[in-house]
Amino acid sequence: MISFSQVTKRYPGGHEALSGVDLSIEKGELVFLTGHSGAGKSTLLKLVAAIERPTGGVVSVSGQNVGRLPQRAIPYLRRNIGLIFQDHKLLFDRNVIENVVLPLDIAGLDRRESLKRARAVIDKVGLLKREKANPISLSGGEQQRLCIARALVSRPALLLADEPTGNLDAGYAADIMAMFRDFHQVGTTLVIATHDDRAIAALGGRTLRLDHGKVEEGSA
Amino acid sequence: MIGWLRHQKHAFTAALRRLGAQPVASLLTALAMGVAISLPGGLFLALGNLDRLAGDLPAQPEISVFLDTGASSVQKQAIAERLRQPDIAEARYVPKDEALAALSSAQDLADITAGLTQNPLPNAWVVRPQTMSREELVRVAGALGKLPGVAETHLDSQWADRLQAALAIGRTGVWLLAGLFAVALVAISGNAIRAQVLARRDEILVSRLIGATDRYIRRPFLYVGALQGLLGGLAAGGVLAIAGVILRAPVEQLAGLYGSAFHLLPPATIEIVAVLGLTALFGWLGAWLSVTRALRQVEAAR
Repeated sequence: MISFSQVTKRYPGGHEALSGVDLSIEKGELVFLTGHSGAGKSTLLKLVAAIERPTGGVVSVSGQNVGRLPQRAIPYLRRNIGLIFQDHKLLFDRNVIENVVLPLDIAGLDRRESLKRARAVIDKVGLLKREKANPISLSGGEQQRLCIARALVSRPALLLADEPTGNLDAGYAADIMAMFRDFHQVGTTLVIATHDDRAIAALGGRTLRLDHGKVEEGSA
Repeated sequence: MIGWLRHQKHAFTAALRRLGAQPVASLLTALAMGVAISLPGGLFLALGNLDRLAGDLPAQPEISVFLDTGASSVQKQAIAERLRQPDIAEARYVPKDEALAALSSAQDLADITAGLTQNPLPNAWVVRPQTMSREELVRVAGALGKLPGVAETHLDSQWADRLQAALAIGRTGVWLLAGLFAVALVAISGNAIRAQVLARRDEILVSRLIGATDRYIRRPFLYVGALQGLLGGLAAGGVLAIAGVILRAPVEQLAGLYGSAFHLLPPATIEIVAVLGLTALFGWLGAWLSVTRALRQVEAAR
């Protein structure tokens, strides 16, 4: 599903976030990315979602060379990827359900069906009573759950999560991890960048440790 | 196809919401557009009405042949003979008494003409030549003017020709002006949309991250531009309708003073539809140019 071949990412200014990375993630696999801050976890996720382009090497997702993908094809790649951001990236001029329904609107789904699916996933993350609330009125943890709901609503084949439980208390973190497990069990590929050892222990799966832009297989 | 229609519906609804969310700004933009459209629109209507006025004039040119007061009966006979030649389609003799009577009744000059001790008007022929060509008409009028017993000839279509020539220049001017104001319309729409794109920068970035194409992002802005253009067209219609109501009475009064029943006519339905379609198109074009450029800037600044 995902393969990196000698991938390097150097940012303007010279900082090398990834250096000659080789890795392979199979379809339906659950993979944790661990490592200290600045190790390159977020960069690796951004390369998979074509938010950044590699400086060298080949990033391949579902057989497509993402680094060479024309600009107009990138939106269609991203529609099959659920993205959970560390900083949530919510829209504060629309309410909870409108945030969640956005990926389905973009995909051109029937509005009634979209709202039904959005409510189901909002219920799963425990925000149904707040579906009309503005995200700005939500706590950090609720905003994180809202971001997760938006990523899950389009039932993506690949879910990329950057510190998905970072702002959640233990109870909600466990619920979210249980949701990830459910998605994993139905064949969704999950790549989760996290520092949360409890989550890794709870879900199992493979762990890739990043250290100064290099990847090594390891355990949490 | 269904997906495409859903996207259009979604974008149109979003555009209506955006316009409704900023009613004052939307209204001001529409008014600015309306004022820009009403000037060429008003001139176009004025020219249309003048054209109609010119159209009421005799379509076929006539030559008035005024006889010398001292013309002899032989000369009069020779003139009548000349007017029976094949280059003349019709000739009607107008005795001076008939001319005076017509003048008195047509232009409400009865009071003045009643005070005259003698009729100052000459006997005349009103001649309609076969030809419609301007050069030929001038030649025929010149030839008739040289006949003994003829004091003067007057080619009656002259002032109508001048009016038509002036209208042609006016029409060209209106089209040039309309072109300039179309550019202004595109600029007004583009500027309003640019501000909206920058205000929605975060939404654009997030939408791109979750799979929105530029076409998807651009679409609601295009609808906003088109709707603003349409509202601008309607505002211009309102301005012109008010101007029409204000001007109707003075114009009819002026026309009455010249013995005419002329009155201002509003634009035809097809003209209204065409103007609204064009203003919506220019609003859309301004939005397209602006949003395409702004999307590039948003991407570059990311």
